[in-house]
Amino acid sequence: MVKHYRPPGKKKEGNAAKFVIRSQALKQLQISLPLFRKLCILKGVTPREPKKKFKGTHQTYYHVKDISFLHHEPLVEIHRAIRVHERKIKKAEAKKNHERANRLREKTPKPKIDRIIRQRYPRFVDALGELDDCLTMVHLFAALPATESKKIEVECVHKCRRLAHEWQAFISRTHKLRKTFVSVKGIYYQAEVEGQMITWLTPHSLQQVVSDDVDIVTMLNFLQLYEPLLSFVNFRLYHSINLKYPPILDPRLEALAADLYALSRYVSSNTGLSVVNSEASQVESEHLETKQREAESGNETSELRLAQLQHQLPSNEPGALMHLVEETGEDDDDLDTKECKNLFKNVKFFLSREVPRESLLFVIPAFGGIVSWEGEGAPFGESDQSITHQIVDREAQGHRFLSRDYVQPQWVFDCVNARMILPTDNYLVGRIPPPHLSPFINYDEEGAYIPDYAKTIKNLQAAARKEVLPLPGVGNEDLEDPQNLLVEGIIGRAEANEAAQRKQKMMILEQQYHDDLKKELKGVTYTSAGSKETSGAVQTGESATNVEENPGDDMGKIMMSRKKRKLLEAMQISNKRKQAQIDLIKHRKKKIDEAQS
Amino acid sequence: MKGKKKTMPKNDVHEEEAPLPSDKVPSPSVSDSDSDYEDSSADDDESSVSLDSQSESEFEEGSPENGRSGDLEAEGTESSVDEDIVNGEGSGNESSDLHQPGAESDSSEDEVAPRNTIGDVPLKWYEDEPHIGYDIKGKKIKKKEKQDKLDSFLANVDDSKSWRKIYDEYNDEVVELTKDEIKLVRRLLKNQAPHSDFDPYPDYVDWYKWEDAKHPLSNAPEPKRRFIPSKWEAKKVVQYVRAIRKGTITFDKPKEEDGPYLLWGDDSGSTEKSNHLAYIPAPKQKLPGHDESYNPPLEYIPTQEEINSYQLMFEEDRPKFIPKRFTSMRSIPSYENAMKESFERCLDLYLCPRVRKKRLNIDPESLKPKLPSRKELKPYPITCYIEYKGHEDAVTSISIEASGQWMASGSSDGTVRVWEVETGRCLRRWEVGEAVSCVSWNPLPDMHILAVSAGQDVLLLNTGLGDEELQNQIKELLWIDSSTASDDSGDKAPSVSWLKDDKHMGLRLRHFKTVTAVEWHRKGDYFSTVMPTGESRAVLIHQLSKKLTQKLPFKLHGLAVRSTFHPSRSIFFVCTKKNVRVYDLLKTKVIKKLDTGLREASSIAVHPGGDNLIVGSKEGKMCWFDMDLSSKPYKILKCHPKDINNVIFHRTYPLFASCSDDCTAYVFHGMVYSDLNQNPLIVPLEILRGHTSSNGRGILDCKFHPRQPWLFTAGADKLIKLYCH
Repeated sequence: MVKHYRPPGKKKEGNAAKFVIRSQALKQLQISLPLFRKLCILKGVTPREPKKKFKGTHQTYYHVKDISFLHHEPLVEIHRAIRVHERKIKKAEAKKNHERANRLREKTPKPKIDRIIRQRYPRFVDALGELDDCLTMVHLFAALPATESKKIEVECVHKCRRLAHEWQAFISRTHKLRKTFVSVKGIYYQAEVEGQMITWLTPHSLQQVVSDDVDIVTMLNFLQLYEPLLSFVNFRLYHSINLKYPPILDPRLEALAADLYALSRYVSSNTGLSVVNSEASQVESEHLETKQREAESGNETSELRLAQLQHQLPSNEPGALMHLVEETGEDDDDLDTKECKNLFKNVKFFLSREVPRESLLFVIPAFGGIVSWEGEGAPFGESDQSITHQIVDREAQGHRFLSRDYVQPQWVFDCVNARMILPTDNYLVGRIPPPHLSPFINYDEEGAYIPDYAKTIKNLQAAARKEVLPLPGVGNEDLEDPQNLLVEGIIGRAEANEAAQRKQKMMILEQQYHDDLKKELKGVTYTSAGSKETSGAVQTGESATNVEENPGDDMGKIMMSRKKRKLLEAMQISNKRKQAQIDLIKHRKKKIDEAQS
Repeated sequence: MKGKKKTMPKNDVHEEEAPLPSDKVPSPSVSDSDSDYEDSSADDDESSVSLDSQSESEFEEGSPENGRSGDLEAEGTESSVDEDIVNGEGSGNESSDLHQPGAESDSSEDEVAPRNTIGDVPLKWYEDEPHIGYDIKGKKIKKKEKQDKLDSFLANVDDSKSWRKIYDEYNDEVVELTKDEIKLVRRLLKNQAPHSDFDPYPDYVDWYKWEDAKHPLSNAPEPKRRFIPSKWEAKKVVQYVRAIRKGTITFDKPKEEDGPYLLWGDDSGSTEKSNHLAYIPAPKQKLPGHDESYNPPLEYIPTQEEINSYQLMFEEDRPKFIPKRFTSMRSIPSYENAMKESFERCLDLYLCPRVRKKRLNIDPESLKPKLPSRKELKPYPITCYIEYKGHEDAVTSISIEASGQWMASGSSDGTVRVWEVETGRCLRRWEVGEAVSCVSWNPLPDMHILAVSAGQDVLLLNTGLGDEELQNQIKELLWIDSSTASDDSGDKAPSVSWLKDDKHMGLRLRHFKTVTAVEWHRKGDYFSTVMPTGESRAVLIHQLSKKLTQKLPFKLHGLAVRSTFHPSRSIFFVCTKKNVRVYDLLKTKVIKKLDTGLREASSIAVHPGGDNLIVGSKEGKMCWFDMDLSSKPYKILKCHPKDINNVIFHRTYPLFASCSDDCTAYVFHGMVYSDLNQNPLIVPLEILRGHTSSNGRGILDCKFHPRQPWLFTAGADKLIKLYCH
């Protein structure tokens, strides 16, 4: 391409025409940096990576188009108006004109987020696909203490909590929860909504600390987007199961919760007056918290009740067709959902005081279980004879019912992950439970380390399906044919296994024979070596071929182009690192086993 | 009293209201008169009050009932009358005293009048006088006799009341304080009022009797306007109503909470992003593994030693998360980094440029080119078969006789040896005197002539192999008349002089610069020598039969390194440091210039087919040129970490090899197809090891056996090795 002379300050071409650095963008938009950041967060504008960084590598580059979209964004205007209002309010306050200040404060324009959400997520599926961060953030804020110094307002926390509960209620009601994992960081949940796997993290229900090295303003900006996003998503989801949104809750419970919340906040703000006071207030606040949780769980259950009620409504109405459609819709549920729905079908739970109630109240109904708890508003009491499992996390027990199992809460989570009711022996109170494994690990990967307990669970699952687990080393072709399985039954399979073993032995022998032959031949002729190569894939031959191949590997490397060679080296290094990690774990396991035996 | 008067006009307006809060009424004059202490301070007040009351009493006398305000006045006067009574008592007391000035305090009245009358003058004036002053009658008052200090002290000690005694200098006497006086002093020290019975906050006594008053404060009848709706207000209301109707007054609309609505309809499939920029959704966060569990398997928990060893690691290598085990869910603490991690995620979401990175989820083995199995490409040299020992220094060069029975080697110890290949027997040995840089066997099977370059000389040696007839031929060929020497290049300075070498029974070609390489033509008559520093005469071609030396009729660009003849045609290759030039000797012109792209080429070898050649370089790279294809290398093989010393093709087998200073020799399969469309196939076959490094040099030369797939290597460790298949 011919480069023409371009007068200075005229048109640009290439990267310089496509990208601007941040300070240029600020100048163009005529806004402050914090506002720019906020806009970027709300609009989802991220820096780009130009091929050539024409202003230096330390700069952040934005696409010109992104910036021009921001330029035409009504949000900018609204924020300018907000700033004007703030100035007016300040002036009114300075002149002691509180009435005017209050009026102005009320009339401050508010940015509308719905349009932006629609723009960012044109389809509902898009929104669901990016809901992970949103849910995690909302759940985190729902657990935060409202502090004035950190600008976390009570309403904000309250709204987050409401939204989180609404979401959980939907997931639980529609049995969309798939996996749970109790980690040190909190409890991970994975749900499948409209084909999208959504994973989120809820912190443990303990007091969270807002550290100072966190810029809360940024997080609040994100929350400003996430709150409406989740409410719109909830609306759509509730709409999809013919429910009114927002759900109308039992006003008594709601009022109770709100009151208690305000009270607890008041208490927390007044702590530190004196030792006695603070102690007293601590006790009080603890008490309040538990009460509050109860109230919340009450909320949740009431929601559920409401949901069920409304669910039944359409059948009485003339539009029975709609109901029919819905019924079929329910029947359409995929296998997973059905499985999840029926996991705890015949199980009745009772939660003791010390177990994480909020989480279990969410998980157990999601898998079809019936649950009650100790405290006000519980559907049934501890003395109910039909309770099959009582979830307990403390050894000291008052009265023990013989008709039920006393298990640790981990049992519920492990059952959910294994999709079967595990034997409760290991999980009984007072015993150290077996390790809690992550359900997100894929063992199919080659060379992955499988913990012992994962193996036992796999065996149990197989036993539940009345199968004999395939012996390692046998091809899976028989397994894949389900009819074969059914016809032959267990005995047939065992026979097949034996046959396979015999076959394998034969192959080993054959291979050995070939090897011998080869050794003989080596001295004389060099012709027939190639034909035997194909049979080298048999397992026993592997070790021998490996040794021979290793220098060959190096040889292959010589022939590669530099780019590919570097790539290969990088891959090898990363593989080696992974392998080292696995080896380390295996080594530790070996040591532990040795110490135990 | 003034305050009361001020309230008067208000009174008639708010008739129904309570008259006045009594607190507002100031009461300066009211104080309990029984405390005699108060009297002194209140004196001024009293006088003014008394004045006031006097005037008021006069006023009262003048008009006993004085209209509307009379009530209040009466009230005021009443209080003042009370005070008058009090004052009267006070004044009565005072009047009983003799004409004492008003400023004199009460306390002085109780005491005896001071006997000294000097007044308020400095006592210093009377210091030296025998008297302290004068009494009331004008007589001098004598000073008391001064007591001895010791005596006074003793007296003090004896006297139990000495602590309450004060010496009055003015009257020259000792005063003993009474109990009350001491109390007073104490109270003063405490900043309290001197008298204990003084109350600084007395209850207010409202002297006005509010109940049972005969008349209201205002006797005026209720005005009419109180009962009529205000016209002005009606007007204002009409104004507002009109303004509202007109729309000039607008009300704040009740705030509507914009709740969520159905944002995504069902037909949302068609909509797409408005801006046409590539949108990359944020990557999801990594899902937790077993190690993040609250109760991980025991093998996931690092031991204390391992945790300690993390401290030694670099900051970025350190694991971010250390697994921990809790025996029950109840004992899980809250995660302290929850906020921080969430915040970091936020930062990642809006500050990180998003780039779609292609993640190769493939087996690294699949990246390797598909090469035919090495076993199919046999035979090739694999193992060391024979070692030839005998040289006392690094073996710099070797050469195999055309039949493959003999091998010659030159070493830097100045000897040339001939070995029998199959037995390893050293057949002959010549002492050349200088370090041998190159040996080369005549390619003709009958001509057992060895060309040896040592220093500036090239020796042509008769090895003495073959039968009588051949020996005669060779001797004849190597015979030179000493007179004919060095007359071939008449006009120019002789670049080479052909000399007879009697010691070794051969010829000696004396060059003007150090010769590094000798290469025979395939017909055995011509050979070329290379002198890198020879500039325009760096490459010379000699004819043995005519004892002639020719300069290459071309200009060389760069330093010549090696030269070689084409295996079948009259083409000559000269390898300089950067590139290879191909000359046609018959037409005397440059055919081709091959650009190696190497830093410093070190060796060159031509494929027996003649269209392919390899160039080895000092940076360990080997370039394969397909001269039909291009002047750029067809393939560059980077296999050696150190200098390549020699590269070589096998004459019959599709093999080539390279040897390097890293003590390895690589053997490759290099198949050249007669089909022009098919590129040469290069397969690395074997790495030959066995030599050891000495002085940083490894294998200095390598040569293939002319018939068998065997490779000879000459090492700097004084050894020659033969690798067989």
